[in-house]
Amino acid sequence: MLVLSRRVGESIVIGDGAEQVTVTVLEVRGDVVRVGIDAPRSVRVHRAELLEQLADANATAASPSETAVASLSEALKGRSQ
Amino acid sequence: MSTVAADIPVIELAHPLPGFPHDQRFALVRLDDDGVLMAFRSLEREDLQFVVVPPSPFYPDYAPEISDDVVTDLEIGDASDVLVLLVVHAGASLADTTVNLRAPLVINTGTRRACQVVLDDPDLPLAAPLMA
Repeated sequence: MLVLSRRVGESIVIGDGAEQVTVTVLEVRGDVVRVGIDAPRSVRVHRAELLEQLADANATAASPSETAVASLSEALKGRSQ
Repeated sequence: MSTVAADIPVIELAHPLPGFPHDQRFALVRLDDDGVLMAFRSLEREDLQFVVVPPSPFYPDYAPEISDDVVTDLEIGDASDVLVLLVVHAGASLADTTVNLRAPLVINTGTRRACQVVLDDPDLPLAAPLMA
């Protein structure tokens, strides 16, 4: 991992050309650092912990058993009648 | 409001689903006559599928805001082409079954491109009861 020290108002640039991403330190208060990210639309920016939670949620939801799907289908059918 | 979606044989993901980086192509298949319960099924891996539902029968007020970058990625030209679906976690019973409101599956039925959109709203849960 590359480690850099930056002051408020300073930036780092990742990549070049059309794919360039600029990360700027906006504010440091206690243990909270606010960063601004300037990235092209094609580059997704997410909080790491949210992406992890989402990957977990997807993994848990993936490929339910046939029994679970059948009983869900049955339960929903009962509801709409 | 119509909640019935037709089958879509081939859907290309604009970005992979978080946790499933290698799965690109899926099909949308109806699982019941009402068109409520559907399977989002991998075309590359036989054992991979997600159960998905339209939000309206369960969360009638759910109206996620689709950002411009998603509109661009999915080449959305007409709002009527947009199909929003919720990923279901099928629990042991209906009461244990949840849906992901934070990251809906958004499909452009015109271009058949899709992605799971992570919404900015931190109040939306990743696991909300299907039957609130």
